Amino acid sequence: MIQLIDIHKSFKKQKVLDGLNLEIEDGKITVIIGRSGGGKSVLLKHIIGLIKPDSGQVIVDGDDIAAMNERQLNETRKKFGMLFQEAALFDSMNVEDNVAFPLREHTKKKEREILEIVKDRLQAVGLPGVEKKMPSELSGGMRKRVGLARAIALHPRIVLFDEPTTGLDPIMTEAIDKLIVDTQKMYNLTCIIISHDIKSALEMGDKVAMLYEGRIIEEGTPEKINNSENPILRQFLSGSLEGPISVI
Amino acid sequence: MRSISTEAKVGLFILIALIILGYMSFQVGEYGFGLKKGYIVTAVFDNVTGLERDAAVQIAGVEVGKVEKISLVDGKALVELRILPNVQVEKDATISIKTHGILGDKYVDIVPGETKGSYIAERGQFQNVEKQADIDKLLVELGNIAEDIRVVTGALRKVVGGDAGESNLSAIITNVKELTANLNSVVKANDRKFTVLVDNLTSASKQMEQTFASLSEITGKVNQGEGTLGQLVTNKGVFEKLDNTLASIQTITEKINTGEGTLGQLVTNKGVFEKMDNTLASIQTITDKINAGQGTIGKLVNDEETVTNLNSSLKSIDKSMVGINRFVSKADQFRTFLGYRGEYFFEKSDGKSYIDVTIQPKEDKFYILGLVSDPRGRRKTYDRITDGVTVRTEEWDRNGLLFNAQIGKRFNDLLLRGGLLESTGGFGVDFFAMRDNLKLTFEAFDFDLDRDPHMKVFGEYQILKHLYLTAGWDDFLNRDNDSLFAGFAIRFEDEDLKYLLTSAPIPK
Amino acid sequence: MNRLIQAIDRFGRSILWYVEEMGRISLFFISALSWLVRSPLKVRLVFKQMEFVGVKSIFVVVLTGTFTGMVMSLQGYYGFRLFSAESLVGSTVALGMTRELGPVLTALMVTARAGSAMAAELGTMKVTEQIDALYVMAANPIRHLIVPRVVASIAMVPALTIVSDFMGIMGGYFVGVKLLKINEGIFLKNIYKLVGLDDIYNGLIKAACFGLILSLVGCYKGFTTYGGAEGVGRATTEAVVIASISILISDYFLTALMF
Repeated sequence: MIQLIDIHKSFKKQKVLDGLNLEIEDGKITVIIGRSGGGKSVLLKHIIGLIKPDSGQVIVDGDDIAAMNERQLNETRKKFGMLFQEAALFDSMNVEDNVAFPLREHTKKKEREILEIVKDRLQAVGLPGVEKKMPSELSGGMRKRVGLARAIALHPRIVLFDEPTTGLDPIMTEAIDKLIVDTQKMYNLTCIIISHDIKSALEMGDKVAMLYEGRIIEEGTPEKINNSENPILRQFLSGSLEGPISVI
Repeated sequence: MRSISTEAKVGLFILIALIILGYMSFQVGEYGFGLKKGYIVTAVFDNVTGLERDAAVQIAGVEVGKVEKISLVDGKALVELRILPNVQVEKDATISIKTHGILGDKYVDIVPGETKGSYIAERGQFQNVEKQADIDKLLVELGNIAEDIRVVTGALRKVVGGDAGESNLSAIITNVKELTANLNSVVKANDRKFTVLVDNLTSASKQMEQTFASLSEITGKVNQGEGTLGQLVTNKGVFEKLDNTLASIQTITEKINTGEGTLGQLVTNKGVFEKMDNTLASIQTITDKINAGQGTIGKLVNDEETVTNLNSSLKSIDKSMVGINRFVSKADQFRTFLGYRGEYFFEKSDGKSYIDVTIQPKEDKFYILGLVSDPRGRRKTYDRITDGVTVRTEEWDRNGLLFNAQIGKRFNDLLLRGGLLESTGGFGVDFFAMRDNLKLTFEAFDFDLDRDPHMKVFGEYQILKHLYLTAGWDDFLNRDNDSLFAGFAIRFEDEDLKYLLTSAPIPK
Repeated sequence: MNRLIQAIDRFGRSILWYVEEMGRISLFFISALSWLVRSPLKVRLVFKQMEFVGVKSIFVVVLTGTFTGMVMSLQGYYGFRLFSAESLVGSTVALGMTRELGPVLTALMVTARAGSAMAAELGTMKVTEQIDALYVMAANPIRHLIVPRVVASIAMVPALTIVSDFMGIMGGYFVGVKLLKINEGIFLKNIYKLVGLDDIYNGLIKAACFGLILSLVGCYKGFTTYGGAEGVGRATTEAVVIASISILISDYFLTALMF
């Protein structure tokens, strides 16, 4: 269980998170929706300790990440996997080395075992046989899938997804969404997905939370969100220009 | 094909780098490669200063080998030369060490010998070794020569130099002229007599010739026994007559001896001899006089007084030189700087100028005198008593010049000075950095119980020989008068002023 | 007046910026140093960087070294000929190369080649979140990215300097002895006589310092890149400028310290 309690964060003079509270349940998919540039990525980075809050607590399994030192943080991070927006594969390594990276870094496994696991993970994301390719040779969707394979290589309990379907065509979007759900079920993961794709969110999420102006303004099951009377949420759901969210 | 692994590439590169490093270190530390063909010849020199191993060996300016080795044998330098195999050196060749130019490298020069066909063999030794023209020795010789020339010219200068010398010289020349004129006239006066004398002699000899000719004729006739004489020989009376003739000849010669007749007169004429004698005597007198120190030349050459005069004048020159020396050395220590300094005050949009003279009698001691034109002018205070209360009023005299008069002493990089600063008591501290190019200054003056003292900090940086840039914060304690400023200063050492000041008595 | 104050203000700010940057780079250095001490070296990564920084720079260093030596020889010849001291050309070239030009030129070339590449590579990694990915995978990027580069540079710049020194002297030798006909023996002799081991080794110490500087600056600039592709470009330029300036400035102080 992950709890975010009264998180405040500003960059320079711009307030990004303003007293945010959120609870994330184990073994479920939580989708955080919100506007582009609205602080979703920042929120995600708080959860994994890449960014420390100005004030507030990030509690993972009872420990406050915000108060941890580098070594404790690294221990905690081993529970996590993360899929970055552009997959963030290492350009200098081929697919195999990318997926094997966390294994080589954190396990004492033999090279043969590692290659076995890599093969298994790539199989799981539906990309068998791309081991020797370089990331630059892959398409955007393939890269995301390799990224997912790398994120789950160490069998993490929690996987974070930073806009997993941005920039993909609808079919690939669907495929990735399905992959996430399947993977979650296969490994019984706690998934935190940030997205502005409301349709995907409502489909896959066990819980959906709406981030607006540094706070969670609405959270609950997809049904609850879908039926919410909150005008901001309504505008977001309908995707119209009319409403309390001023675009220009 | 498998490509070479990263590790192999890096390893290979490091290996190569280390090999090169080792090679360079070895070369730098040790003797390196050179040409190894050719044969060795040796030569023993007294001194091979400056000659290096591997220096060139030249014949007629053509390089034919190198110096292979230089070693010490019995206090002399044994030089081994490696000569190109196709070059042969005669046994009587001369070897020497020479220099390219004055500062150039030393090399070995070989002048080929005369006897062709007899060459120095492998490890053979040169017999004709020319001593190295040691530059030091050469310089010493040159020095000696110069010294000699100096002595000679010095003596000459003593004699010729000055007005007296010049007039003496002209007197000498005049005397010599007179002397030759006299000699000339003596000879002229006796000219006629000489001519007569010679004429007489000529005629006398002619007569004698005739006499001897007739005598010869007579004797010839006598021998033949012809005529009278022939008859005479056998005749007693003839002998008697001959005897008489001879007697009369004797008489004639006697008469010549006694000065009778023209010839006699010539030989015995006393006047001529006396005159010649006199001439010679007068020449003798002249030289005697010269020797005795009479006459101008004589005086010049002999007179004691002249010498003492010369000596004393030299001494006085010497003395005055000592004086000058003292003066100059004092002036050398003594330094005077003239300076101008302009500051622009940003807050007041006004300028302030300083003109000062810094006198530095010793390296670490300074006197600073100066004038300051402050736009604020000079402060004057008046105390007025009205109704038993003293009211102090301040006035700023805008025309007033302010004075600086300070004494300073320097301790390493720190110059402490104190005295009058802008017509008030105060002190200053200068800190010098960057070989005196940068000066950081703190000044405090105008201490007044009523208000904060005037404090000023600034830096001065030398950008050109005489030009300094300056910037600082003036009167920073007084909010109403404080100002940042920037400006420049010109400061130079004044030579003329220096001499002027050093000739005036200054307490040290 | 205001304009003057503004100018001073700007000047002061730029100095302040440089000083701050220095401070941040120093802190960066300390953390790199602590990682170097704290955990075993990633030998494979170090070798990879050594190949990149060292092996791939050989050609450019050979070229610059050789031609520098050649031009020094040529210039020196014309100067020394005035004093009939042409034989000093060799030692001048050798001293110049080993003490100054070898280390400095090599460092500048490596800065241009590898320092900029470090900034660009790390900058790209930064803006594409690869560095964040490393953090997330509990793999410290300083250990993985910075330390290998710094170690490789410290080792490789001196190695390249050796090559540069040697090629410079060879170039000088070629021009001096082969083209200008200076006596070979004296040319070499003067090199052996006037160049000491100290000159070579101090030059290499300098080179190691330059290697440290250029890799630190390059990594730092890359590591702190922000703002997408444009940011990467900016980081690269700044890395080259700051590293070059720092190399030249530190060269003075290192020289003052050593010789």
